[in-house]
Amino acid sequence: MFTKYHPTKGEMLQILSPEGKIINTKFQPEISTEKVLQAYKLMVYTRTVDLKTVSYQRQGRMYTYAPNFGQEASMIGTGFHMNQEDWLVPSYREMGAFFHRGVTPTDIWLYWGGHEDGAKFPKATNTLPISVPIASQIIHAAGIGYGLKLQKQKGIVYTYFGDGGTSEGDFHAGLNFASVWKAPVIFICQNNQYAISLRQEKQMASSNIAIKSLAYGMPGIQVDGNDFFACYSATQKAAQHIEEGKGPVLIEALTYRRGAHTTADDPSRYRSKEEEKIWEEKDPILRLKRYLVAQKLWSEEDDTKLTQQYEEEVEAEFLEYEKYPPYELNDVFQYLYNTMPDDLVKQKQEYEKYLAWKESRS
Amino acid sequence: MSKKKKIQDYSQDFLKKLLDEMLLCRRFEELTGKKYGLREIVGFCHLYIGQEAVTSGSIGALDLSKDYVLTGYRDHAHALCCGSSPNTLMAELYGKVTGCSRGKGGSMHFFDAKNHMFGGNGIVGGQIPVATGVAFKIRYNKEDGVVLCYFGDGAIHQGAFHESLNLAKIWQLPIVYICENNQYGMGTDYRRVSSVHDFSIMANSYGLTGRRVDNGMDVLEVYEEVKEAVELARKSGEATLLDIRTYRYKGHSMSDPAKYRTKEELQEFKGKDPILTLKSELLEAKIITEDEFKEMDQKCKAVCDAAVNFAKESAEPGLETMYEDILV
Repeated sequence: MFTKYHPTKGEMLQILSPEGKIINTKFQPEISTEKVLQAYKLMVYTRTVDLKTVSYQRQGRMYTYAPNFGQEASMIGTGFHMNQEDWLVPSYREMGAFFHRGVTPTDIWLYWGGHEDGAKFPKATNTLPISVPIASQIIHAAGIGYGLKLQKQKGIVYTYFGDGGTSEGDFHAGLNFASVWKAPVIFICQNNQYAISLRQEKQMASSNIAIKSLAYGMPGIQVDGNDFFACYSATQKAAQHIEEGKGPVLIEALTYRRGAHTTADDPSRYRSKEEEKIWEEKDPILRLKRYLVAQKLWSEEDDTKLTQQYEEEVEAEFLEYEKYPPYELNDVFQYLYNTMPDDLVKQKQEYEKYLAWKESRS
Repeated sequence: MSKKKKIQDYSQDFLKKLLDEMLLCRRFEELTGKKYGLREIVGFCHLYIGQEAVTSGSIGALDLSKDYVLTGYRDHAHALCCGSSPNTLMAELYGKVTGCSRGKGGSMHFFDAKNHMFGGNGIVGGQIPVATGVAFKIRYNKEDGVVLCYFGDGAIHQGAFHESLNLAKIWQLPIVYICENNQYGMGTDYRRVSSVHDFSIMANSYGLTGRRVDNGMDVLEVYEEVKEAVELARKSGEATLLDIRTYRYKGHSMSDPAKYRTKEELQEFKGKDPILTLKSELLEAKIITEDEFKEMDQKCKAVCDAAVNFAKESAEPGLETMYEDILV
């Protein structure tokens, strides 16, 4: 697969057409029907949580949030391949992959709600918190991969970043080190074509992002990021490559963020309605649904029922989330050091004094 | 794929200039090493001995009335080739006020604005975005110049390299990135820190042209490769990445005994010495005689000795200058 779709050829791996038809049988992934249905449901669930979160934010019940709408295949098609012993090293737009690991919507809301508990994930293992600084997680992924190798542990590190992240120096350092150490890392670029508002061609002149793998001597492949099968298939191949001890792989999943960059962004200022329409037609969930319906594994009726069920569940969970106790003001000093250094202790004392003073005035 | 022309196709003056320049760099560095050993020169110091073909060949392809040179901390030869006076450079090494950076920069921070040598940078890879910025200035002001940006095989893995090359392509900047691949990032073999052993491949990531120059010990090979890249940059604002293979005879810095490599390897590269190679070609083509070479060498030595005297006789910078030259 990596030879056939070598990035210098400029060909993208696609298995499922936007009409929901299998157009490439050669590279179809090994995955049971049951699992495909499970993944589909996860995609629908992710979208439900996502759309509802945006609406909560608009109602003033959430802080800033980064929507996932439209990228469900790219994050779940790759992330669904993760096993228990694997690691998820995310950025901030991989909610589907988070859910696959057992992270709950409450955890995600806590994070965007500014609560430190949103980085703890009590029900998920081997999952790093959301990383907002662009590309900083790539070097963590390389480091964890190297650690697994040194300790002769099983597991593959799945790390995510966007097209904007590839222009950061950490991308360069992370991929180089992972490659020279043959660390078990799958580097997944969710290329949604905009770094906030900057179109890909204004940000880089590379013909595609997968080609950047050449600089580090690792395989790279561009896949249709709105095609669940293409994403899953490439990830499966990448995992195989790693299990054979051949080192990391770069996957570029070409997708489209149908929502805004964050709730503080207005995409109508940098992209056209026509363009959004084109990508609506290529929607990942619609595509997989068409396939499942054609295979008689799913029906519109099932779909309506499922969406309704998820909406109710999410609504109920959000109401619970809103009752979550607020974070302690002193939290800001925690989590950085095992033993707090003197200057931080001093700052904390000053802050406590300030809080006491504030209290005395009210 | 050698691009080098027949020796007779180059002007004799040009060939002699290259030889003279490399010889000056060599003698300057030898004397610097000696004076460092005597503790007359202190601080950090990275000698260039062995790599002379890279600076002479590449800077020889420039028009310094409009082009610029930026490099890392192994910068003595770059300044010499840009035409900085050996006196001010030696004075800089001695930390004297007559030095090119007023005695406050030292070995790693040679700077000569007049001759378009924009440093000398002590941070590994730090000069790469700075050089990219100079190329942006050229583009922005619609000037005709080209920037040569040098760095080592260790620096190529810095994020700043990656960010700079990306910008150079999308902004169409007139710059040539030269990786002076002397094969060791301090004591680390470049093959141990990269799974790509031909750095020119990295140009693919940015849609740029990359070339490996296998014989970076041959000044005319370097000249032809860099000339082609400079012309491309000047004509169409297209940057090139060159991986030029070279070798440093001395340790990474004065405190490095270079125990990570074999004597045989060192001998092998000394056998390709850039000065001896050009010298023998010129002797064979009867462009110079052995006596002329000796005379040239004597002159270089005399220039360096004079530079040391100049440095020693110069004053140290005054205490008040500590606060100068930092902010405009």
